[in-house]
Amino acid sequence: MAAGSFFGSFDPSAFINALILGISIASIWLIAALGLTIIYGTAGVINMAHGEFIMLGAYSSYMLQNYFGLPFLLCVPAAFVIVAAVGLVLERGLIRYLYKRPLDTLLATFGVSLVLMQGVRLIFGSDPKYLAVPSIFTSNFQLGFVNISAFRVIVLAITIAAVVALWALFYRTRFGVQVRAVMQDKEMAASFGINSDRVYMLTFALGAGLAGLAGSLFGVLNIVLPTMGMGYVVQAFLVVVVGGGTLIGSVVAGGATGELQSIFAYFTNDTFARFVLYVLIVVFLRVRPQGLFAPSATRR
Amino acid sequence: MLLSMTNVTSYYGKTPILKNFSFGLEEGKCLCVLGRNGVGKTTLMRTIMGLTDRSVGEIVINGHNITGSQTYQRAKMGIGYVPQGRGILAEFTVRENILLGTFARPDGNPEIPEICLRLFPYLKANLDRRAGLLSGGQKQQLAIARALAVGPKVLLLDEPTEGIQPNIVHEIGETLLMLNKEFGITLLLTEQHIKVARRLGDGFLMIDNGRVVATGAIDDLDTALIQKHLTI
Repeated sequence: MAAGSFFGSFDPSAFINALILGISIASIWLIAALGLTIIYGTAGVINMAHGEFIMLGAYSSYMLQNYFGLPFLLCVPAAFVIVAAVGLVLERGLIRYLYKRPLDTLLATFGVSLVLMQGVRLIFGSDPKYLAVPSIFTSNFQLGFVNISAFRVIVLAITIAAVVALWALFYRTRFGVQVRAVMQDKEMAASFGINSDRVYMLTFALGAGLAGLAGSLFGVLNIVLPTMGMGYVVQAFLVVVVGGGTLIGSVVAGGATGELQSIFAYFTNDTFARFVLYVLIVVFLRVRPQGLFAPSATRR
Repeated sequence: MLLSMTNVTSYYGKTPILKNFSFGLEEGKCLCVLGRNGVGKTTLMRTIMGLTDRSVGEIVINGHNITGSQTYQRAKMGIGYVPQGRGILAEFTVRENILLGTFARPDGNPEIPEICLRLFPYLKANLDRRAGLLSGGQKQQLAIARALAVGPKVLLLDEPTEGIQPNIVHEIGETLLMLNKEFGITLLLTEQHIKVARRLGDGFLMIDNGRVVATGAIDDLDTALIQKHLTI
């Protein structure tokens, strides 16, 4: 729909559809960004391999489904565990030596992303793979005059559950107190018996696991390819940067960017919508470089 | 000795700040570390906590050699630390800041010890207040309460009265005296206020240029020593 013809042909039901689609886009962007948010927010690591963790999640599900006959619903938590284990090994083997060197971390994780992509290509080939899901997941249903994809509702529900679980983990458990203490002041946390090395290791694994979980869902929404992670990682970084690296920031940024993209797309088209959104984000970051909800304490 | 250092040299980068530093602190005593600004008092505290870049020599607490231990392991040996500037986590509530201390408890008890709240009624009444909103004196009380939550054998207090209004200085001094004399907690504190040092200390340790230049009972701290090592 051309922008100029908007007032003459505004269709309320199509607009509400676009808003609902925006929620769906937001949930996809948010679940892609959750793991990145945790890793960046806690350890300050800009994990360039995050997209490949997402890809590994999709391939884990594909492998479990095709070689072990696991039903899709079990593949999702299994992908979380497998990619969390990969993250844990990566953190112990590489990342932990680079925490005080952000540029090196950036380059190292970029190198890891290439290794993972090529490794998967060697093992599974470059041809697209597909995840099979029960037919009810692929159906659409009508709610009033709004048409909703069942699987997108599932993605939204899993995203909400993941956000609530993370909030509870960080704000209602002793582990959460440890993580937030390390985020604010690593020295003081250590001075009161908190092993920051262990906190970093576990949060990195958790972040990787969340990427794996997202990947197993994205494998249903799209085809599974070794390069699929690149398609999500840009949005994930946008959400983290706009949100300021905090959980609440990512929720708000994911929601806002998803909705804006959908609304712009309704009035124009997808390509132009992305263009406008990215311009707005650049302007926003010029005005507020620390993002929406940056922690007030300086990382020490 | 509850806490001792033998020939410790401590570095920031390649620069030694403490040089061949040795001292001992008996259980139940209060030792005041004195010296001008920049002579190494804070580095002494940070060396004991394992927060300098590197240190060599021997640090022993309660019979355990902690020289090669990491900071979080040292904290679990029964060291309560009140750093210079207080180190309060501003985004935490008062309750969360005190709870932080419980992570170093050897018994793993996650409850706030009763003593922390009994000594500081203001904190008890404001447990859910954001710590960043407290005044300087209240933050110092919180820093001490948090260190007490460790269940410490020894408290390291780095300038506990710095930047605090005079009536609160007296209050904090009396609290520390009570912790030392009534609860038997060993104290190692750096202090600029000679009056506070005389009131609290059993002994003193005078530092200059990263070395111990004088030590003795607090009554031996005479005007000549003060003029030589503390006046500008």
